[in-house]
Amino acid sequence: MDLLTFLDQNLSRTFFLLWEHVWLVALSLVIAMCIGVPLGVLITKKKELAQKVLGGANIIMTVPSIALFGLMLPVLALVGHGLGKVPAVIALVLYSLLPIIRNTYIAIKNVDPALVDAGKGMGMTKWQLLREVEIPLAVPVILAGLKTAAVMNIGIAAIAAYVGAGGLGVFIQQGIARSHEAMILTGALGVSLLAVFVDLGMSSLERLLTPKGLKI
Amino acid sequence: MIEYDSVTKFFGVGKNAVTANDNVTFEIKQGETAVFLGPSGCGKTTLLRMTNRLESISSGNIRVAEKNIMDVNPQKLRLSMGYVIQQIGLFPNKTIADNVAVVPKMLKWNKEKIKDRTDELLHLVKLDPKIYRDRYPVELSGGQQQRVGVARGLAADPEILLMDEPFGAIDPINRNQIQDEFLKLQAKLKKTIAFVSHDIHEAIKMADKIAIFKDGKLVQFDTPEVILMRPANKFVSDFVGADRALKVLGLLKIRDAINPHPKNIVQAESNAEETLKMMEEQGLKFAIVLKGDKVLGHVTPKLLKYEQGKLKDLAESFPEELGTREPLRDALSAMLLHDVMNFPVMDDDGKFAGTISYKNIQKAILELYADDHDE
Repeated sequence: MDLLTFLDQNLSRTFFLLWEHVWLVALSLVIAMCIGVPLGVLITKKKELAQKVLGGANIIMTVPSIALFGLMLPVLALVGHGLGKVPAVIALVLYSLLPIIRNTYIAIKNVDPALVDAGKGMGMTKWQLLREVEIPLAVPVILAGLKTAAVMNIGIAAIAAYVGAGGLGVFIQQGIARSHEAMILTGALGVSLLAVFVDLGMSSLERLLTPKGLKI
Repeated sequence: MIEYDSVTKFFGVGKNAVTANDNVTFEIKQGETAVFLGPSGCGKTTLLRMTNRLESISSGNIRVAEKNIMDVNPQKLRLSMGYVIQQIGLFPNKTIADNVAVVPKMLKWNKEKIKDRTDELLHLVKLDPKIYRDRYPVELSGGQQQRVGVARGLAADPEILLMDEPFGAIDPINRNQIQDEFLKLQAKLKKTIAFVSHDIHEAIKMADKIAIFKDGKLVQFDTPEVILMRPANKFVSDFVGADRALKVLGLLKIRDAINPHPKNIVQAESNAEETLKMMEEQGLKFAIVLKGDKVLGHVTPKLLKYEQGKLKDLAESFPEELGTREPLRDALSAMLLHDVMNFPVMDDDGKFAGTISYKNIQKAILELYADDHDE
């Protein structure tokens, strides 16, 4: 019952940290999407770039998150943002890139070449083909990439509390420091539940945005 | 009209270059269907894809409606030609109506006009718009999908239709049906069609002219009859098959071999004795009994011997009726099946138009050969 007492006494703070957490993840996801989707589309047209871009995103992904914060600290310190929300958002954007770029690339690549041939043969421009056929058909897979990135980032954002980014990670970090079990549990449960809800939400969005002709 | 003028296409460069088309020259006249025929890798598809600039031309010229296609913006060129492919390529995210409307939409027709045209086209390819308009491609069978593919190719009423093995992926029964329907459609629409096929039967059926390719070279370009009867070389004769004389039988119609003024005609009201006498005098073994312009049946001397009375009561009826528009193959088949050497032929109104016999058929085929020696 410690947990409920803790929640009762810290309700507004909990909601504030939850809001901060969501905000961090959402902002970084939007930025990553704005970079990742066009980049993913671009590399389907420029084969020589594809290996480099995917390889680069892959390397970023393999760096442990806590190490990435450490690596960015001296660089961002030069512009006065070594700690706080800026390094957190940058790290989250970088981590999100791989699933988003990779899924966009694969989805567009997997569009039946006969459709592309038919479209071109009828006089569609590359842009028309993308807008009318390739992207609508790729939407489910691109959204799956966004979902992966979102769920992953909810976890990484919890670690970002160590560089002072805020979010539910603060409870975990401070709870560990003070051996405050209820506090740790609140943070941990909050992050976990958030991840589950976001996963469910994104899945239904995926179903909603899948073109009708693909669902039959 | 589509003119191919010394069209050559290489893939790759230097030593690794492969010639897909080698100095190909011929033209497809307005309203004609030319079938590009040959084994895989002969360059027929590449030639088709150069026609709407999906492939570049290495050298030579292609002119469409007397305009060099290299002077036309590729998108504009393609919008002015229908394009139908074997894989069909209907967009799965669009309804049937939206698939048909792709080109009209790009041409910025207004909504009303697009809807009317879409419904008209679906009727034309025998798909009820009320049922199919709002369905998605996955809900249709392969044959139905290709009907939509054809409708989509015809959407903006292009002068020219490019078809790359359009019926190749459809099962044989449906293929035959869709070919027949397309022929009827083409008889009305009179499009200029470039049609790629690897199937000699399809080529004979669909083509006004057949262009046969081997290793990128145009080997022969002529009507199906001439290709069958006078193949330019061994490659063509092998390709059309050893049974090419039989294929001609499928191509020629009974009216091409009919004997319009046969001598062995007797009237229904004549009596048996007189007719027998007349037949013996003229050495006729078989006579067709007519009443006015209707056929009653046939008589033989054997049948008339020791008989009296009118022919109309004695004549044996024919087991099958033949029309002028039926292929010679059907006539020959009827003769073999029923062991009757001479069949009457009816015109479209069911009136007697003449007769057909083995000899007539043989003569018609020999005439095709004979043209050869005149040249």
